[in-house]
This record gives sequence, C-alpha cells and structure tokens, in this order.
Amino acid sequence: MLHIVDDEEVVRDSLSWLAASRAIAARAYGGAQEFLSAIEGQFAPQGDCVLLDVRMPDMNGVAVFDLLAERGLTLRLPVIFLTGHGDVPMAVDALKRGAFDFFEKPFNDNALMDRVQQGLAGSRQAGAMALVHARLATLSVREREVLDLILAGKMNKVVADKLGISMRTVEVHRANVFDKMQVKTAVELAGLLK
Amino acid sequence: MNTLPLLLRRLQFPGLWRWLMPGMLVLFFLAILLWLPWQARQMESNERQEKLIADTLWVEQTIRFQLTRNEESLRTLGRDIGNDNLSTEQMHQRLEQLLNNGRELARVIRVDALGEAIASSDPELHLLAPTPQFLATAARARISGNPQYSQPAAPKPGAAMTMDYHLPLYRGKTYIGSLVATYRIDKLLDEMVPWWFAQDNQITLLDRDDKVLARRAAAGPGHGVYTHKRALDLRGASVTLVTDSIKSEPHLLPNLLVGSVIALSLGLLWSLIALWRDISRRLATEGALRQQMSFRTAMENSLVTGLRARDLEGRVTYVNPAFCQIVGYPPEELVGKLPPMPYWVPEAMDEYQQRFAGVLAGTITPQVETVFQRSDGALIPVLIFEAPLVDSDGKQTGWMGSILDISDRKRVEELNRQQQEKLQSNARLATMGEISSILAHELNQPLAAISSYTTGALNLIERAAVNNEAIDCSTLKPALEQASAQARRAGQIIRSVHQFVKKRAPERQEVALQDLVEGIRALIELQARKYHVVLQTSIPLDLPKVRADSMMIEQVLLNLTRNAIEAMQDVAPGRRILRLLAHFDAAQSQVAVAVIDQGCGMAPELAERLFSPFFSTKAEGMGMGLNICRTAIEFHGGTLCHDANPQGGTIFKFALPVARSGPL
Repeated sequence: MLHIVDDEEVVRDSLSWLAASRAIAARAYGGAQEFLSAIEGQFAPQGDCVLLDVRMPDMNGVAVFDLLAERGLTLRLPVIFLTGHGDVPMAVDALKRGAFDFFEKPFNDNALMDRVQQGLAGSRQAGAMALVHARLATLSVREREVLDLILAGKMNKVVADKLGISMRTVEVHRANVFDKMQVKTAVELAGLLK
Repeated sequence: MNTLPLLLRRLQFPGLWRWLMPGMLVLFFLAILLWLPWQARQMESNERQEKLIADTLWVEQTIRFQLTRNEESLRTLGRDIGNDNLSTEQMHQRLEQLLNNGRELARVIRVDALGEAIASSDPELHLLAPTPQFLATAARARISGNPQYSQPAAPKPGAAMTMDYHLPLYRGKTYIGSLVATYRIDKLLDEMVPWWFAQDNQITLLDRDDKVLARRAAAGPGHGVYTHKRALDLRGASVTLVTDSIKSEPHLLPNLLVGSVIALSLGLLWSLIALWRDISRRLATEGALRQQMSFRTAMENSLVTGLRARDLEGRVTYVNPAFCQIVGYPPEELVGKLPPMPYWVPEAMDEYQQRFAGVLAGTITPQVETVFQRSDGALIPVLIFEAPLVDSDGKQTGWMGSILDISDRKRVEELNRQQQEKLQSNARLATMGEISSILAHELNQPLAAISSYTTGALNLIERAAVNNEAIDCSTLKPALEQASAQARRAGQIIRSVHQFVKKRAPERQEVALQDLVEGIRALIELQARKYHVVLQTSIPLDLPKVRADSMMIEQVLLNLTRNAIEAMQDVAPGRRILRLLAHFDAAQSQVAVAVIDQGCGMAPELAERLFSPFFSTKAEGMGMGLNICRTAIEFHGGTLCHDANPQGGTIFKFALPVARSGPL
C-alpha cells in the first residue's frame, strides 16, 4: 500500500491517479496528523511505502519521519520525500538518517513510481523477515537446537543422538517448531529461513 | 645682575632683600638731607664767629694802638720833664694837649717823687687822697722802672670806672715822680670802638674777676651766641675785651631747609609706600595671572580638542599640543606660518584658499568640516569651529579655532552606512529569494500535478496498447480535465506575479534636476569623502524641468557617481575630482547630464561588455548596476552612453526629456 501524505489536494489526487495507472494501491492523507493517526497502534508495515511532502502546514515532513524512526518503523517502511524548491538540504539530511529516497518537484513521475515499487518490494521482504524473526523468537532453546539440526538436513534419529534425547521427544519438538514457524514441511521451513 | 635676585628668590627672602637696598639708600639720603642744612648752619655760624673774632681783634688793635699812642705822648712828655726844660705853663699846655688828643683820657697829672701832684691837666690842681691802689701802682712803677697800668676801679662809689697809667720819671738815675694818665673805661669803649662794630655787637670790658668794667650796647644786648674774649695786653692791669654779637643763631634758613627736607622726605616716603603698595598689588595680580596662565596651559594641554589661533593675516600664532598631535607637526613648524599650511590636503587646496579668503575678508563660517593631512600622509577628517579673538580693547586681533578629530565618528558613520547598505542588499536578496521560492512553490504544484496526470494517462494508454485493450476514455477524461485545470492555475499565478510587479511602475513627474541632485548630494559626498574625492557640480540655475521618475534618476545618478568614485581610488589624490554637469540641449529639447571621472578609464574590450547583465569588474559587484541604469534611462526615452574622458577617465552621458509645461 502506498501512503501519499501531502497537504495539496491536487498533488494527492494526481499522485493517486498516477499510482493507479501503475496498478499500485494507494491511500492519500491530507496532512501529517491524519497519516499518523491512521497508523497508530499495531501497525506492522509489509509492502508499504510513504510519499511524504516536506512542507506541510501542520507538521514538517522530516519531523514525521523522525517519529516513524522512533517507533522503529522506518526499517520496514520506506519513506520517499517530495521536496519543493530549497528543501533539498533538509531531504538529504533525512536521507542520511535512513529515508529511502527523495524527489525534487517537479519530478519524473514514472521514475518516482519505479522507486515506489522498489520500496514496496523491499518493505514486503523486510516485513516477511520480521515475521520470521518474530516466529523464531517464540522457539525455546531446545526447539532452536532442533531447528538448526533440521535445517542441517539431519534425520530425527541423528538429532536424538546428538542432543541425547529420545526420538519421541525430538518429534514433539519438531512438531512444535513447524507449528510455531507456521510451516508444514522442512523444505518450506528452509525456504523461509533462507 | 639677574642671578642675584633670582638666587635670592630661590632662597625665599624676596621681600627682605628686595627692600633692604632701597631702604638703606633712602635712609642714607634722608641723613644727608638732614645733615646738609645743619652743616650749612654750622658753616654760617663758624663764619660769623670768625668774622667776630677778626673784628674783635681789630677793635683790640685799635684800642691797643690808641693806648700805645697815648703812652708814646706821655713818654715824650716824661722825657721832656726829665730834661727839665718845661715850664709849668708849658707843662700844663702839654697835658691839656694830651687830653685833647685822646678824649678817652679823663685827666693827666704830674706827681713828684713823694706822690704829691704838682701839675694836672685839670684847670685846678686838686688831688684827691691817693687810694692804696694808686699808691701800689705808683710803687710798682717806681720799683720796676717801667710804666704800669692800675687795676680799673671806681675812685668813689658810684663814679665811673677809671684806670690809671703810671709812667715813672727819672732824671738820670733819680726818680723824680710820675706821670699818671687816668682813662675813663666807658670812654675807652665809646671813643675807640668804631660805630659799625658797635652797631652789631655788645662790647664789654671785664676785669680779672669778670666784673663788668664798662659796656657798650648800642644796638641792644648781645645774644651770647657769637662771643669772643680778648685780653688787652696792659702791663699791670688785667682787662678783657668781650664782644657779643647781637645776632642770634641762624634760624629761618635752616628751618626752611629742614622743613623742606622733611616735607620732601615725607613726600618721598609717601611715594615709596605708594610705590610699594602698587608693586605689591602688581605682584599679586602677576601671581594671579601666572596661576591663571598655568591653569590655562594645563587646560590646553589636557584638551583633546586641537586649538589654533591665527592673526588677521592668517598667520598661526598659537597651537596647543592636541592640535600638533592631530596634524603631526611640532609647534615650532606651525607657529608663525602663513598659508598654505603644511597640513593642507593638495586636492582640497582650492577649498582651503576660498575659506582662507573668507577669513581675510572677515566672514568666517563658524563650523566647517574638512580634511587635514597629517605629516605621515594620513588624511584626517576634522570639524573646525572658529570664533573671533578679541583683545582687551574690544578690537579683533585674529581668530581662534578649535579642531575636532572626527575620524572615529567618520569611521563609525561609514561603518553604519556600509552595514545599512549590506542590510538593505541582504533584505533585497532575501525578498528576491522569498519571492522566487514562493513563485517556485506556487508553480511547482500545478506543474507537478499536470505532469502526474499526463504521465498517468500515458501509462494507461501504454498498458492498453500492450494488453491490446480498448482505451477507457471515461477513466482518462477526469485526469486530462484536471491537468487542464492545473495548467490554467499556473497561468493565473504568473499573471498575478506580473500584476504585482506592474504595481511598481515608474511615475514620471516634472522635476528640477537641481533638486534631484541636491537630494542625493549628501549620499554622494559621503562616498566621495571616503575615497577623498572632490565633488564638483555644475548645473545651470535656469535649467528647465525634466519629465522623469525621480527615484529612478536618483538611482541612476547614485550608481554612476559611485562607479566614478570607485574608478578613481587608484589615481593620485590631486586628480580625484568627480564632476557632475548638466546643460540644456534646445535642439533636442533635452537636458543632457554627464558624470565625469578622472579615473583609470576603460579598456575597449571592457566597454563592449559594459551593459551585459552579470558582468562586473568589481569583486563584490552583481553586474546589474549599469544594466539597470540603461533600462531606466531607456524607459525615459533616452540612451545611456559613455566616452573616454580626454583628461583620462570616463564620461557617462544621458539625456532626459524636458517637461512640456516647464519654463524655457
């Protein structure tokens, strides 16, 4: 989902139209506050990207970015700044602090959309990675050891020998790992943790 | 001569020593004055005394002579008697003759050896009983064999004093009696003292007991001042002649003298005291004056304001240390100097001369701002205040000027001006930046929107072409409509900016070039002074009014003069003259204006690019000045052109149309 944050209705409208022309789902916000209240609470960005206008009447775009960074969202939520004349240094500064990109108005619309798509893809991936890591975090130490050995392609028996536990226990752990990682097969698990 | 009083003054005895010498001299003088009349009186008195003595001697001599003559006669008679060749008759005759010759003689008698009178000068021979004194004298004469005088005595109480002369007579060795001549003492004086002597003196005869025998006081009693005693040398008798002048001591003359001396001395003393008081008053005044002088000197030395006094010819008569410090010359190089002064700046010589001519004519501007050149060549802006210098009689003797070094003030002014300029230009730039930023933002929005809409539309068309689908016009239409609307919006923005700029369109009014130049003269001079450039303007008074926007023309003139001033910063100070000329061109009905500098001039390749924008020879220049000037002049229907100045430098010229209703 592309989040367009701009106080100018014309810009919001035209950018939404542009995104639609590239088959990108987009949602427009009239200001910083509107956007921030929309993503409040449990917001796990995955496949999201933000087009943020630097100059807005209620809040500076960079300040919005800082708030997102504080919440640790910027890793998974690429932010592309849209700057007007003279805002370039500000945008460069934001870029150094982790913004995805910035475009100076007037911009090449399709180049912007290409970048948006890259951002969306990156976000999707980062979101997935975050999910896997979240699932890994739920594993117990023994389950983690079992997982590592499974990924190494060891049979249950070998795992039991290595860990000095019974075959039966290994199977329970294995089932738990598959369950917690939300996979059905070892191949699927390996693909997830590739 | 001078060292002694100086030394004494240093020894702190000024009063004592200053007065000791004249005081002593005055006392000495007074003493002499008093002594001289006394001495004169003394001399006079001595003279009188001497005269008296001489006269007395003369009188004594006279008496002696007369007595001696009588003695001679008696001796002759005595010899005749001794020779016994005289009859009684003859005898008597001779005696009478004696009395006739000497009227001082009372009588003459002849006594025999027994003391009996035998002949007498008196008609009858009557002999009184001889007194013991008579006998004693006779005995003394007889024993000694020499004639003797008796001590004068009165024969009877109450009778006149007489004195006898006994001449012993001898025949052979035998005593035969005596001749006795009796003198009347008073007759002695009456007969023998001359009248002229008696007139002036009281003459007295005294016996040996100082008893008065006889006195002649024809002119009154003597005063006892001038007296003389002389013993009459009479054998056997002691008689003293005493003369006493009736003249008293000299009074009038000495008194007059002494009086005048005292009066003179008093006058002298009075005048001395008056002199002393005058001198002490003078000394007090002098002391006060000296104190005032030192006070004044200290004041002058402590001043930071330079002081300079000039006489009516303009010759410097006094400078204080502050002035010397300002101009960097010692006082001895300034005092007594006539203009041109060493601290005059070469290029402003005319200005000084003009002002100096004003000083000579007696018209002086009380406050003048000008520039002095210090001895090291540095230029110092100064403020001069002049006031007439008037002596104690109210006559003007010159001018006193106080000179204020205003370099600091000038520096601050210059700094302020520069800062103001910078601020203004910054503000201008800021405004420009802001306007362009706003403009960019305002235009960016519609442009970006248009771009997005059209790109989106193109994307859709492309996709349809790729997928071989029919294009859905209903989806494209709103986007294109939006794009069109945004294009209109952009147009509107540009129109509004144009309108905003248009609001400041120049206003052409009828203005006098003179007023215009006067209005900015201060600004031009401020810059000119910074580079020590002299501004000369020559604008005819009868110049017709021009039709122009005064603000624009002011800008043009400021720009051109500033360029001219800056062009001259590397030439010699004497050549730094900026001229602003104007004249009426009747043929073209224009007022032509020229700004002429004597600067470094312009290279031809530079002249070509002169009016191109963003071209500047100045490090800080924006390259817009002349471009704007040319636009402004062209707006007024004229041209801005430039020429090389034949005397070096550049001439910028432009013309302005004359107002139609303006006076010609």
